[in-house]
Formats: sequence, structure tokens, C-alpha cells
Amino acid sequence: MFTSLEPSYILHSRPYRESSLLLEVFGKAQGRVGLVARGARGPRSRWKSILQPFRPLLLSWTRRGEMGTLTGADQVASPPALAGDPLFCGLYANELLMHFLHRSDPHPGLFDHYSRLVTDLAAGSPTQPLLRLFEFQLLRAAGFGLQLDHEHGGREGIRADAWYVYLPESGPVRRDATSGQAEELVSGAALLELKSGEIGEQHLMELKMLMRKLIRFYMGGKTLKSQFLFLQS
Amino acid sequence: MNSEPLLDQLIEALRCLPGVGPKSAQRMALHLLERNREGGKHLSTMLDAAMERIGRCRVCRNLTEEEICLICGNEKRDKSLLCIVETPSDVMAIEQATGYQGRYFVLMGRLSPLDGIGPEELGLEDLAEQLNNNPPREMIIATNPTVEGEATAYYLQRMAQKQGVAVSRISHGVPLGGELEFTDQSTIAHAFSSRQAVEN
Ligand SMILES: [Zn+2]
Repeated sequence: MFTSLEPSYILHSRPYRESSLLLEVFGKAQGRVGLVARGARGPRSRWKSILQPFRPLLLSWTRRGEMGTLTGADQVASPPALAGDPLFCGLYANELLMHFLHRSDPHPGLFDHYSRLVTDLAAGSPTQPLLRLFEFQLLRAAGFGLQLDHEHGGREGIRADAWYVYLPESGPVRRDATSGQAEELVSGAALLELKSGEIGEQHLMELKMLMRKLIRFYMGGKTLKSQFLFLQS
Repeated sequence: MNSEPLLDQLIEALRCLPGVGPKSAQRMALHLLERNREGGKHLSTMLDAAMERIGRCRVCRNLTEEEICLICGNEKRDKSLLCIVETPSDVMAIEQATGYQGRYFVLMGRLSPLDGIGPEELGLEDLAEQLNNNPPREMIIATNPTVEGEATAYYLQRMAQKQGVAVSRISHGVPLGGELEFTDQSTIAHAFSSRQAVEN
């Protein structure tokens, strides 16, 4: 099978054999794909400087079976490289994608969200709302979307002025603001912001706790290594 | 195949060297056996001794047969400069190419979450302790200009700033003897953004 000029990002690469790279690629139409880039680490490789994460690329490859072979790589544009906190955020997003996407499962919508995330991170937008929104979109694409249409077990819509505990796999359950699960409580206003895709300053902490809980749940207790990058701040 | 077991084992063993496939391993084994037994014996003694005795410096983690390496043990070197590199070969490269007279700290890798390498796996506690107990005047970060190298540099930068240690980074840019036209976009972008003022 031949794939030509697929809009792609590299999620991860590691050395393979003497002078090659093993790439984990997120392609718009093909989803996550494993590719071998022959000779990419050689001293004269044209690919060496291009095959880096967080760069919009057009990749071509042939594939029979599990792994493909890279046949072409072009850089679409040269966006400012991620540095500092935005770089840590990008690594975190890549680790999420590696964990939640299966090989050859196409996710064109999520690809566009990821592309926007990288662009916005590079442009220096506040990182936290971007990450929350991306986590939300990623869980939905992975089949673990949040249920934010109504209360769990009822028909009543989510009320901005009410408090909830979000149960994974089920949905928001109404709670008293004084119910003693303070760290689990999330306001209806926060849930509605998440649903609308417009996340303001005010509810960032609640949403961070909520998404952390859900991601931990769906990762089955495994932890993301990139979380430890942030510990110092 | 009807072959000699010990010879086969030698060929197989040589393949642990980087870039050595079955063909070259066979060529090496036959060369030593047919033409250079002396050299082969010397190689085996040196290998044995080196594998047995070379360990890591207690201070900078570079390879050494002593408890403390020659660089760390050299009283003439400037203790107020600390250069952070990814690997022992980076130390060699800097030693050979520059007149740097400070000390080093060898990470033995870099932060790479997707390879399961976080601050703990890199043993950055050791470095934090050194920054705390013997803070250098300047910490020079010489990690590679890859995404992981950048992430590592940023993490180190924050560690140093927490201890009030000044940080510098080696610059990356257009190679000497190179031409802009043939330099890739991102290298040019990097070189451009880290340009320096010229003194008149
Ligand atoms: Zn040392």
C-alpha cells in the first residue's frame, strides 16, 4: 500500500539499526503508523533535520503489514519550535496520543485538533486551557467521550450553578457543595465550558482535576512520564 | 552448517559491536585468527581489563577506572564552571575541540517521556544535590538540539534557577564552512533567533 504526501506529525522517533530511525507517525487520514526511515541518521541525510516532532510534514511511505517504509518527507512550513513549558505540554500531548491511539485507526478530526494545539502552543497561548480541550477531544476520539448532555441517570440538563461529581463511564452526578468530596467536585459552569470548547481562567483547576482523574481511569493506573516534567514548577 | 562451535561463538560475540553484521563479524574473526593472533590476544586482555575496571565517576558520572575521574580530580580545573552533557562522547568532543577548563556532569541520556525516561530515571537528584552543596558560578547546558535535548535543557535550566545558579547554553547554528543556501530551514531559524550583537 502506497501513501502519498500525507499531512503528518512525528510523535516519537528512536534510533534503529546503524543509521535508521523508527518513527511513530500521526497521519491525518491513516492515523498512527509505525515507519522505518532508512539512513535518516546518516551524516548526509536530508531527513535528519526535518523528521522532528511538532513540525507539520508531508510524508510518503509504502506499507505491507505492520511497519511501513518512509519514501519521502517534506516540511510544510517552519513554525517556531516549541520551547519551555509549551514544549513540555507538547510532549505530554504526544504521550497521550501514543497511549490512546491504536495503529492504523484514522482520526482526521483529532489530527486537526492536534495540529491546532501545536500551532497555539508555539504561538505562546496559555497552555492550560489548550491542554484541557485537547484531553477532552482525545478522550472522545478514543471512544471515552464525556457525557455532558444531562445528569447521569436523569434527564435534567447540566446547570451552571450546581455542583457535580463526574463518574467515569457514566456522567455527572449532582452533589451538595458541602458533600465532603471537595477535590472531586466540579461546577456545572466548568462542565458547560468544556462542552462549548471555550475554557476561561476561572474553572481551570476543577477541569484539571477532572481530566486527570479520567485519564488515570482510562490508563488503568499507568502514569504518564511527561507529568513528572512539570513537577518542579 | 558444519562449522566450528568456538569460531561461531566468536563471530556471534563480535556482533555486539555497533554496525557489525554477520559478514563483518566473520571477517574480523578470521582476520584475527589467520593474521593477527598477537593483536587478538591483546584485544582480549584489554577488553577484559576495561570491562572489569572502568566504572563511573562518583562526581560527574563520566567513565573512569578511578573512584573520581581525572577531570574532577584535577585541582587546576575551574570548579565554578559546570558543563552538562548527554554522554561521555560529548565530554570527549568538548575536551578535544575547546580549551574548556571547567568540570562536567554527564547525564547518560536525556529526558524522553515516551521512552520512559523522566527526571528520576536520569538521576537528576544527584545533580540537584551538587547544585545545592557546591553551586557553580555558571552552569553551561550542552544538550543536543533535538526535541528531547531541548526539554532536558529547559528542565535543567529551571533546576539551576531554583538554586540561583546562572545558566548559559551553547549555541547551535550554521556549520562552519557551510552556506546558508544549503542549510535546512530550522537550523537557519535557530541561528537567526540566537544571533549575537557584534562589538564595535
Ligand atoms: Zn568526574
